[in-house]
Amino acid sequence: MKHFAILLQKEWRENIRNYKIFWIPAIFILLGITEPVVNYFLPQILESSGGLPEGAVFELPTPPPEQILTAVMEQFQTIGMVVLILAYMGTIAGERKSGTATLLYVRPLSFPAYFLSKWGMAAVVSLASIWLGFLAGYYYTLLFFGNLEVVKLLQMVGTYSVWVLLILTVVLTASAALPNGGLAAASAFAMYLLAQLVDGLFGTNWAVSPVKIPQYAAAWLTGKPDSGSLGGAIAIALLIILSLSAFGSWMAWKNKARTKV
Amino acid sequence: MNIVDVKGLTKRYGQENAVEDLSFVLEKGTATALIGPNGAGKTTSLSMLAGLLTPTNGKITMAEDLTVGFLPQYPQFFPWLTALEFTEMAAKLSGVEIAKAKLQATRTLEFVGLGAEINKKVGAFSGGMKQRLGLAQAIVHQPKLLLLDEPISALDPTGRREIMNLLKSLQQDTTILYSTHILNDAEEMTDQLLFMKGGCLIEQGSLREVKERHANPQIRIQFQSNSRALAFTERQMWKCEVKENSVFLPFYENGPNMQQVLHVLASEKEDILGVEFQTASLEEIFLKVVAAE
Repeated sequence: MKHFAILLQKEWRENIRNYKIFWIPAIFILLGITEPVVNYFLPQILESSGGLPEGAVFELPTPPPEQILTAVMEQFQTIGMVVLILAYMGTIAGERKSGTATLLYVRPLSFPAYFLSKWGMAAVVSLASIWLGFLAGYYYTLLFFGNLEVVKLLQMVGTYSVWVLLILTVVLTASAALPNGGLAAASAFAMYLLAQLVDGLFGTNWAVSPVKIPQYAAAWLTGKPDSGSLGGAIAIALLIILSLSAFGSWMAWKNKARTKV
Repeated sequence: MNIVDVKGLTKRYGQENAVEDLSFVLEKGTATALIGPNGAGKTTSLSMLAGLLTPTNGKITMAEDLTVGFLPQYPQFFPWLTALEFTEMAAKLSGVEIAKAKLQATRTLEFVGLGAEINKKVGAFSGGMKQRLGLAQAIVHQPKLLLLDEPISALDPTGRREIMNLLKSLQQDTTILYSTHILNDAEEMTDQLLFMKGGCLIEQGSLREVKERHANPQIRIQFQSNSRALAFTERQMWKCEVKENSVFLPFYENGPNMQQVLHVLASEKEDILGVEFQTASLEEIFLKVVAAE
């Protein structure tokens, strides 16, 4: 616990001084704003790009606000996840590779505290990023596409946060287990895509599959996801997060000999 | 009292033995110099003692509650932390009370000569400053055992002298094991010498013991010419060697000692240019021992 506080302070300083705490939220805010703004100005954009023949009448249906926010989430699901994976792929492997970890590992270090300090900081930055991103998207959606209850937004963001934590845990565990950040990112991507593929192909009836959490999050906007399925999926996600964290701490300890001396 | 007892320490990577059957003890309050050519296994041995590497074989027994400080050969720091922030964190992680850590870190940085740089980011530090900071993080928690991998090799002569003096001042309370290839310095601060080559210990003992075994002390008497030196040896019945204008008298059992030699020389009619006692330096011994193996 004492080590956790000491190491968390180090992570905090790192994330501030290498500007991660600024640029990661900035990307998510940008992604959040882009969706409603682009949709709203789509007619003008089409016109200025000159893609339509003279005299063409083109009725663009105004999408409902929930559709815009779902599209924001889709942006987060692709570009957003890539950003998070790339930002945190080297958090443990990189320290080993550069040798900065050596001076930590030669002390009576608590490896669970070491892993959790990294997890905690990455969670703070990532959650703040998606919350700010959704909030920015929500603001422009209200502005351009009409009202949507804020409770619905909070329910969606809350549910989606579990998914983000799951992705983060996978990245950090890969970073603890694999020799370098590139491999960690590649394997995290592979797992991300594979899980979605498997769930998409065979998982029609797997109601409690954690891969469905983003879908359930989106369902809050139009109604209410099945609470049993949602609860089950979240419970399984939390279980995975816990076991991966334990595994990641153990891998960080096991790989301490790999740090550059 | 032995605070570290190493028995049969071996580290194997695949087929290759980085360290093979290494055994030695570290007595409390002593300084031990680990000497050997590049690739001898010094860093691997120190890494095992520091707990970074797990030995393939053998046993390291340490005194209970032994606190350890470790300075790697090329210490790497987080460039975005200041010297004080880093040293304070190192102190806390090594068990220094949170409330005392900052003061202790500040004092340690002043001790190693970084007093003016405590609030500078480490990213802007020169090699010498990093080496000092490396020493600071190793001693900030006042460890009982200090493991130093080439602590002075990267420093300029002035810095080297300063750090040697710092290390000597630490010696009263700390047991030090350090590797080096600067043998003049090793000669200055060592109670025990460990010579390594190819992962094996090839010579060990106190500086005196090692010198007695390998230093070949001799007396050199310099004459004006080779013929005069030869003439002198014909008059004496000593076992000796003549090279150019000098006579070399090795020390051997029941042989002449310095006093006897001087006594004889006092009544010598040939002009004598010089008499000196010669012993091999640690460097010469090192080269000899390493070449012999």
